[in-house]
Amino acid sequence: MRSSTRASGQRGERIVTRLLTPLARPTILGRWYNTAANLMGTRHGAIGAAILLVLAAIAIAAPFLAPYTPLQQTSQSLAAPSRDYLFGTDNIGRDVFSLILYGARSSLLVGLGAALAALLVGGTIGILAGYFRGPVEAVLMRVIELFQTLPVIMLVLCAVALFGSSFWLLIAAVALAIWPMEARLVYGQYIKLREREFIAAARVADLSTFHIIFREILPNAVQPVIVQVALDASIAILIEAGLGFLGLSDPSMVSWGQLLFVAQDYMESAWWMSVFPGAAICLTVIGLNLFADGLNEVVDPRSTRGMGGLQ
Amino acid sequence: MLRFILQRALYAVPLIFVIIVAMFTLLHLIPGDPVQALVGDYPVPAAYRAAIEEKYHLNDPFLLQVGNYLASVLQGDFGFSYQNQRPVLGLILERAPRTILLASVGFAFAIPLGMAIGVVAGTTRNPATDKFWTTSALIAYAIPTFWLGQLLVMLFALRLGWFPTQGIGPLVSRAHGLDWLLEKARYLALPVLAFAIHEGMRFARIMRASVIDTLSQGYIITARSKGLSRGQIIRRHILRNSSLPLVTIAGYAFGSALSGAVLLETVFTWPGLGLLMVDSIRLRDNLTVVGVVIFSALAVILMNLVVDILYALLDPRIRTAG
Repeated sequence: MRSSTRASGQRGERIVTRLLTPLARPTILGRWYNTAANLMGTRHGAIGAAILLVLAAIAIAAPFLAPYTPLQQTSQSLAAPSRDYLFGTDNIGRDVFSLILYGARSSLLVGLGAALAALLVGGTIGILAGYFRGPVEAVLMRVIELFQTLPVIMLVLCAVALFGSSFWLLIAAVALAIWPMEARLVYGQYIKLREREFIAAARVADLSTFHIIFREILPNAVQPVIVQVALDASIAILIEAGLGFLGLSDPSMVSWGQLLFVAQDYMESAWWMSVFPGAAICLTVIGLNLFADGLNEVVDPRSTRGMGGLQ
Repeated sequence: MLRFILQRALYAVPLIFVIIVAMFTLLHLIPGDPVQALVGDYPVPAAYRAAIEEKYHLNDPFLLQVGNYLASVLQGDFGFSYQNQRPVLGLILERAPRTILLASVGFAFAIPLGMAIGVVAGTTRNPATDKFWTTSALIAYAIPTFWLGQLLVMLFALRLGWFPTQGIGPLVSRAHGLDWLLEKARYLALPVLAFAIHEGMRFARIMRASVIDTLSQGYIITARSKGLSRGQIIRRHILRNSSLPLVTIAGYAFGSALSGAVLLETVFTWPGLGLLMVDSIRLRDNLTVVGVVIFSALAVILMNLVVDILYALLDPRIRTAG
């Protein structure tokens, strides 16, 4: 594990003081701790992680933080932001601030759920295509390309439109749109690693294919994949918001996209119905992107720009 | 070259088949009455039911049904939209040009914007300038296009009144010549702005990476040592060599533009393919939904074919490699 000091210290800047100190001789758990410690040493990673932690806390503690329940209708509809209603109220008198707090649940759950589902599907397909090569590779790569070229959001919309939009279906539909990216990345890792000497050695040692795939290659392939999962989660959240905006989210859950869907009809009279939920989506996506940036810096320090422009 | 084109075209054929079959299967998986699934939430008279059953051979084995559907789609028959009382193909052909107009004007602004920002951020000697643009790109890319659209409408249309809030303008206009163009431009301005900011920042990220990659090439050092000025190096060497990835990405971005159009057109009530899709979903007009998806997929495949060929023309190495 390379220390991030080199990456972020290149231009002599250390904005965030190190919160955690990496261990010198890490155990397996310690390696994760070290990654976290190095991540907190990068500026983007620290800000991103902070945003995500706050959002996760909000999602979990929504019932305690929200001044109103999401279904509670106050006496005032379309009230402007005030001390009573921090972000105003919507067309049927619900407190927008409370709705946004509860909406964090749907966005984060669908976003992370879809990213993990995509990892499972894309990862499996990527491993199969990258390790076994031959006809398996040919067929699977065509499938991946098919999904990458299609207007996938339309496909997702179509699926949700035809089969309804329950929570699990939403996750499946969003995962459908993002799995090819995971598959490609895992495929690239496996195709590269399977040619290395230590894999040849493992084959000579007569280790099972299962062992080689999961115990030998996987630990070496996993780092860039984690970065991709964070990026995919941000895309998933944007897609989930998009579905909500089209009125296709799970009607039993509050979601930020759905709030924007309603806000569309009140743009003239209630700007707060649109501005705050949209800002919440932005903040989440920025948090995830910064987190992924920082993670990438830790995992692959060479990726940061070293040339310093055109002299 | 001809061989390359033929090869690429042949490669597209199975894709088209797969898509059409997949969409029909999807229609079939809807629980309940298949006739109702095809027609949507609409009371079906007995005579029409019989006609549909006969047309799609709903009482035949599944494979035969797929074959029939495939044959009719390939003949341009996407079925009849009961809600609109029109053939689906007619609806699509009416809407498609508007989406293409929005996307092409959007790209016309997004590509130069992305290239300019990418070159500035990539070649600057000042880390603060680079940081400013990369951070802006990061933030701009996190903004959902439809929310950006709402913000633009609230600011420029509702508050300032500079532009119309929605729509495409009067269908029959009395304005002529330049006036007509200006009138159209007023309706196009906000959707194009939202599109250009979002896509432009995406292009900027790609362009920046590509520029930085180009900077490490030997010919840049050669150019510098033979005494070319900064501007000359950027214009002659960096701009040209860094643009190639952008050409491909921009070509492939056509698909994502079609997808993005669904959201953007909904915000601005721009009556293109995306809005047709959303409206049909709300009305459960499934034949139209599936028709739009198949049509868009075909358009994307065709577009990718064109990009592949263009790319092979631009870069001879690709032709020989395939």
